[in-house]
Formats: sequence, structure tokens, C-alpha cells
Amino acid sequence: MKRLVQDERPLVAIMVDGDSISARAGDSLATALALAGRLRLRASPNAGAPRGAFCHMGVCQECVLHVDGALRQACLTPVRAGMAVELRGVP
Amino acid sequence: MTHDLIVLGAGPAGANAAMTASQAGLKVALLDEQDGAGGQVWRQPLPGLTGLPVSAEARSGDALRARIAASKVDLRFGRRIWSVGGGFRVDALGPQGNETVEAPSLIAATGAHERVVPFPGWTLPGVIGLAAATVLIKSQGVTPGRKVVVAGCGPLLVAVAAGILKLGGDVAGIVDLAGRRDWLAALPSLATQPRLLGRGLGWAVKIGAARVPLHFGHAVKAAQGEQALERIVIAPVGGDGAYASGAEMTFEADALCIGHGLVPGAEVTKLLRAEHRFDRLRGGFVPVLDAYGRTTVERLFACGDGAGLRGAIIAEQAGRLAGLTAAHDAGALPADRFAQIADPILAAISRARPFSDAMAGIMALRPAQVAAIAPETVVCRCEDVTRSEIDAAHEAGAHDLNQLKHFTRCGMGPCQGRMCGDVAAELLASKVGSRERAGYWTGRPPLRPVPFDALMGAFDYSDIPIPEPAPL
Amino acid sequence: MIHDLAVVGGGVHGATVALFAARGGMDVTLLERGALCREASGVNAGTLTMQMTRVALIPYALRAHAMWASTRQWLGHEVGVVICDGLSLAFTEREEELLTYRAGKRREAGAPIELITGAQASAVEPGVSDTVRLAGYCRVDGFANAYLTGLAYRRALLDAGVALREYMPVIGVEREAGSFALQTPAGLVRARRIVLAGGVWLEPMLAWLGVHLPIKTLVNQLAVSERVAPVMRTVVGIANGLLSLKQYPHGTVVIGGGWQGLGDRERGGVELLPDRLIGNVRLACHAIPALRSARLARAWAGLEAETKDALPAVGPVPGVDGAYVCGSVHSGYTSGPYIARLLADHLLGREPELPLFPIDRLLSPGDAARGRA
Repeated sequence: MKRLVQDERPLVAIMVDGDSISARAGDSLATALALAGRLRLRASPNAGAPRGAFCHMGVCQECVLHVDGALRQACLTPVRAGMAVELRGVP
Repeated sequence: MTHDLIVLGAGPAGANAAMTASQAGLKVALLDEQDGAGGQVWRQPLPGLTGLPVSAEARSGDALRARIAASKVDLRFGRRIWSVGGGFRVDALGPQGNETVEAPSLIAATGAHERVVPFPGWTLPGVIGLAAATVLIKSQGVTPGRKVVVAGCGPLLVAVAAGILKLGGDVAGIVDLAGRRDWLAALPSLATQPRLLGRGLGWAVKIGAARVPLHFGHAVKAAQGEQALERIVIAPVGGDGAYASGAEMTFEADALCIGHGLVPGAEVTKLLRAEHRFDRLRGGFVPVLDAYGRTTVERLFACGDGAGLRGAIIAEQAGRLAGLTAAHDAGALPADRFAQIADPILAAISRARPFSDAMAGIMALRPAQVAAIAPETVVCRCEDVTRSEIDAAHEAGAHDLNQLKHFTRCGMGPCQGRMCGDVAAELLASKVGSRERAGYWTGRPPLRPVPFDALMGAFDYSDIPIPEPAPL
Repeated sequence: MIHDLAVVGGGVHGATVALFAARGGMDVTLLERGALCREASGVNAGTLTMQMTRVALIPYALRAHAMWASTRQWLGHEVGVVICDGLSLAFTEREEELLTYRAGKRREAGAPIELITGAQASAVEPGVSDTVRLAGYCRVDGFANAYLTGLAYRRALLDAGVALREYMPVIGVEREAGSFALQTPAGLVRARRIVLAGGVWLEPMLAWLGVHLPIKTLVNQLAVSERVAPVMRTVVGIANGLLSLKQYPHGTVVIGGGWQGLGDRERGGVELLPDRLIGNVRLACHAIPALRSARLARAWAGLEAETKDALPAVGPVPGVDGAYVCGSVHSGYTSGPYIARLLADHLLGREPELPLFPIDRLLSPGDAARGRA
């Protein structure tokens, strides 16, 4: 994934599974993660297959993550400075 | 009652419904999960992202947002609607927790969502929907990858490919289920909307100029990669969507944008137990409506793609009509005035029908494509249920969709059967005889998953209205 | 063709009667207007607890629990049963009194329930709230996956040679010499004896025979979370019986307890009341605080039958030789297989191990004497 338009929004640092990642404030968290190369967001329940954001509009629920301790859909969550994101680790 | 009318969904249909009813004197609440009006088709850009290219759609969206802001409609954005009860009561999670609005009339304008007919590897990270791609391109200024393949069927194919090119990105190929002939056959109907056809042709020219490889009459047979998409395999298909003889081709790709039409999100009308019928052209089970948008439930109306796929132009008009009808039925608009305003709208809808039907036809689910799904392919993403498990469940006695759910967990995951439902129903229908027999998921709350925390709000144990003890 | 036995209604009660009657040598047909175990039997919370079972039914529930724990032996197929500890919680002084009284009564009836402190409850269930004042603790507890019931019984019934007629509504019954003729859209189905096992629809079914048995229809709301990391290891309820809570091996948490929605036996459970759903969820999250960060994935309603004294309707239909009724058991899923097997024993000419629940007590004197000749 790659941003192709000029982006003046502030760059902020967020934590993802303990790693610091740079992202644009207000970006969709799902997009921010993909821009940082993090496409795999969970493992499927039976096969343990890699899964990531699919619909980017809040329907498919593939992008549900822990954000600051609460379960949120990454594609519906705007990036905020200092946000702490954890991949679920639960099928 | 807090309002005279509640409108659910602020896309072209809902926003227009709300404004029209408000102009007729009703006190209207308009609820949407997004932060502003526009729905999916006219989604507003991310705040602060100013570098996005200008487009006709963006202008339409901005115009809508300006009009709604200037109206008297009670705007409730950022609301996740989770419960709709008869009479009508709507519960939604907003910034302050759970909110309730009540009104004697309700308009459901909840839009449509992506349909993707599964194929091996479609669940790999890097594979996204076509509508998903438009979100990334139009409101976020992002291209899905460096080597993007756009595939599936319908008008979104061209729109997405052109959108990526317009941003300055590359499209590695377009894989269209339809053949050139199918598009040519649709041309006369598409020509009834010259402006839209012109826009589409402009996209086609752009794609041609960029020399994007075009593969008509082909489908993605498989997506492959370890942790994410690395390559795709495409194969020729017949007019019905089933694989045909001919060479397969493999391409490197790091992003696949794929979609096979849209499914109407008729969850609110199903929840309220309105009568529905199966309409393949309109995308699936849709509420039974009269010409004005009335459902079989008193004072419940539906419009826009959520009530059956008709596209944005008809959505706007149907929205105005539903708002008008709601106002009339509530006694706010005398019959002659109502007819005066409604008749031109009905005429506009009629004129837009050929284009709308042609588009819907290109996007409609092809049964042969579903029949061709390989056995080990995941159909229900949430619960990892494969096609062969669905077939086995039918053998074991599951003859309708709700029964299938009990046998396999297909549809029990958090997407609530939205991603898999249409395809699972089509698989069952091929065995039980019809989509009507296969049925649809029973409508239940919550309309979307909602966090317990937000639902409950702050409370003390003594606040809980515990009923009388069970008999001993 | 006249079957020995026709069972009308394919829930746990009807299916179990049919199963054991067939295995006992009878020629059995089962008619179900929908699919097997898709009503109460398929949508209940699956709780197999003594702590929400009526005192009078404890002896039956204990034996049914043993059946649920051994489905492989008698049903031949799994329904995802998990046997685990159960806790019934008291958070207030009033609840402590209620719990002490109720646990005592149930213990007298044979349920091995001990009263333990909040601290002991935390040792049993680390995820439980630290505001628990007193808890009923029982090792004979657990849960099944209700939605797997239909599939399991279907296979068992077919293996046992039951003539299974799903999607076959019965619309009336005619008495013929020495047999019954059940009216269906596909024609008449005849049997020497019939068992009406229609749950909330027992009232209209018995009306076919001219018997008036009022059956109240409860509309129970249930809710389930999406799959979450483990938050609990027991079955949790509260003193007054209005919470049931468990987490399945695949991670979802089911919340129940009998909070009422809107509906009736004609239309089914048509609407869930949001305030009651929230009340039920609050109770659950109060008991297991870690649940708060989960999301509600779905809610639904199921119909439960209740007689006037909230005790079962199991036994012969007075005044109608050869007709029997089986159902309307409070917490019917829990006790169902055992109670139904007792009726099957009776039909096979054996003395049931425990008494049935004849419905004479529920009928007005006129009804008890009447019956279609």
C-alpha cells in the first residue's frame, strides 16, 4: 500500500505490539498499519491462516484489534498519537 | 417520541429522504455510523487530507454534505445503530454511550456491501474488495499496492482502475468476468445516461492510454502467497462465470482488488419483519415495496441500495420520494401537493431505470460461478467454513440458511453473515431448488457488533432491573 | 401402514422418546413441522446446571446430566458437552439469603451444592468479580452446544430406523378404531399411539384431542459475544436464577437467564427489548468483569413452555387412550433426555425409574373427563 497524494497531516508515533510505528494522525488505523507493511492482522480460527483488512468499511470484521485496551475495528479507528495497538492473538 | 421520523443511513438515499421530510415540516433524526453524510458512494475524504484529486463524485458528496448541514435535520453521525424496535425505537452507540431515539415513522437507507465469490487464497492479506479499494483511493489517497490487479465484475472495476491511475499509481492488470460483448450489449442502456456513460468511457480511455493489460472473460482462479498476497492465477470463464477451457496465466501481484457486485443491506427491514422477496437483479432479498418506498410494515419505508441495487441516481430520487411519502403518511403533506412533487420524481426514476438495470445486471451473482467454487475454499471468513463443509451440511439435512448456520457455524461470526451469506445461500439453493427455499438469515440485533462496555455504560449493581426470581 | 408410535414435535423431548422407543423395538415415526431441534432445543443457552433447576426436578436433572456427559454412548454423536464446575453467585445480603435457602432446598433434593465464600469462589473461578459475598458451588454442572443438538439427533434417529418426517406439519388428529390418523399436507400418517411433544405448541396440539391445557409461552432472550480469549472456566449464575453465563471452547460467551422479549407461539420471538438485553449483559459483566471488553455479536430469542405450576407435562392424556404428552419442562433442555426416556420406558411397558408428571392436575375437571371419542 502506498499513499500517492500529498499529506500535510502530522506524523505521530503509535505502538503496535510493542513496536513504535510512524503514522498520519487521523488516518484509518488499518491503512496506517498496511502502509507500515503490517498486512497480517489475525489468524483464522480453524486453519490459523493469515488474515488482514478486507472491506475497509466496517463490515467484514477482519481488522478487529485491541486499541488502548478495547476491541476496535482498525478501519473505523482514526490514528491518534500514542495509541497502543495489539493484534488479538485469539482466533 | 423524540422525533417525527428517523432515517437510518446518510448516503444519497437517506440524506435526501431526511432533507425532503424535514422540508415538509417533520422533525427528523438522521443517523449514520460515519462522521459525515455521503455513504459509501460519496464518502467524505479523511479530515485534513487536502491533496485528493477533484472528481464529479467528490463534488456531489460535498454538495450533499453542504445541503444537509444547512438543513434542520437533527444530524447524528458517528452512531453505530444496534437495535431497531417496532413503533419505532432505535438504539445506537454514540460518543456519549447508548442513545435512544423514537419516532412513529422510520426510513431505512442502509446501503449495500461488497460481494466476493470465494476462490482459493481470497482470504490472504493483500486481497481486498473493490468497494474497499474505492475507499482507499477516493477518501484516503492510497493505492492498495505496487502491483495492483483489479478483478471481478461490474462498474467498480473500471472506476477503481482509473482511480488508481488518476492518483499516479500503476495497475498491473484488469481481470473482468464479463466479455467485451457483454459491455457492448449493455451500451444502449448505458447511453440513456450520457453523462455517466461519458465518465465511464473517460475511465476506459485512461486505462487504454496507460496500456493496462486487459483480460476480458477471465476470473481469478487462485491467489497465492505465504503471509500475504504474492501472485495470482487467472483462467478463462464462459459467459455464465464458470471456468472454460484455455490457458491459465500467473502474475505477480501484491494487491488484488476484487468484487462481484453488491448485496443490499436490508437488515433493518428484516429485523422489523417486513415482507421480503428474492430479486436476483436487485442483489438478493429485498423488502417488498410499493412505488413510493412503503414496506409491508406500517410507517416503515426503505430506499436506496439497501432496498435493492439501483445505483446512486435512483437512490437520490427514491430517497426524496420516501421522505415525501413519510411526510404525507404522517399528515404533514396534503395529497395533491404530494402528487405534484412525487410525480416528477417517479418520472426521473423511470428514466434512470435502463442504465440502473444494465449496471445491476452486470453485477448480478452468477450461479455458475458459485457452483465452480473449489471444495476447500473458505466461504465463511469469520468462522473458516469451507464449501465442502457447507455441502456436507446439506447432505446431513441442512435445507435452509439458518439450519446451515446451526450445522456449520457459517454466519455466526462477527460479520453476521454479510460476507458469506449470499454465496452460502446460492450454494444451498442449487441443492434445495431456489433461493426462496434457502431463505435468509433471521434478522436479530445487534445490527453490528457492539462493545459490551459501551452498551452498558456506567452502572451500579442496584441499577440492574433484575426481574422476579425464577420459580423454585 | 400403521406405525406403533408417532411422535409429534422434534425437539429434545420428542426426539428422545422416538429414539428410545425405536431402540426398544417399536416402529416409530417422528413428525416435525420444521427441522429437528430448531426451536427451544436448538437455541437455548445449553446450560446443564442443578442450580437453575427446580427442586422437584433435581433427581431427573442429575440423571439427565449423566446422559449429557455420555452422549457418545447413547446418542452416538457429540453435542459439544463440557462438564465443569458451576457457581451461583450472591452479591447482596438479600441474595445471600435467597441463595442459602435455594441451595439448601436443592441440596435436600440431592444436588451436591456447597455454599462457599467469595474468596473460595475466586479460587474456583479466577475471573469472577471480587464483590461476590457467597456462592453456591456444584461440580455436577456444565453445558452443551445447543445448536449441535439437531444434527446429533438426526443421525441417531436415522440410525435407529425412525421414520423421520421433517418439514411435515401436523394440522389435526382424527381418532380411528385402535389408532390415530395425523393430518399432514402429504396425507394421513397413522399410528397406534401418539406422543405430543410440541413445547409451547402443546396447547394447540392437545386442543386437537379436545383437551384444554394452558401453556404459557416465555420468550427468552439470549446473547453471544464474538470469540474472545479465555475469561472464565465455570458455568456462572446468580442466586435468583436470572443469569446463565459460560464460555465455549471456541471462545464465544453465551449470556442467558430468562430475560423476556416480545413474541408468541404464532409468530415466534419477534423482538428483543434493548433495555433487557443491556440489563442481562450488565449482570454478566458484573459477574465476570473481563467480559466488559468483549463485543456483543448476536442476540436472539427462544420460546420456552411453562405450565401453570411450572412443572412438566409428561404422561398419558386423560380420556384419550393411546395419547401421551411430553414437554413443558422448566429448563427442559437440562432434564429433557432423561424425562423423555422415562416416557419411552412407559410406552415400552417398563416401569419408569422415577414418576412421570401426569397432566390431570393441570386440567379442569371437565377437561380431564372429556376426550374425542
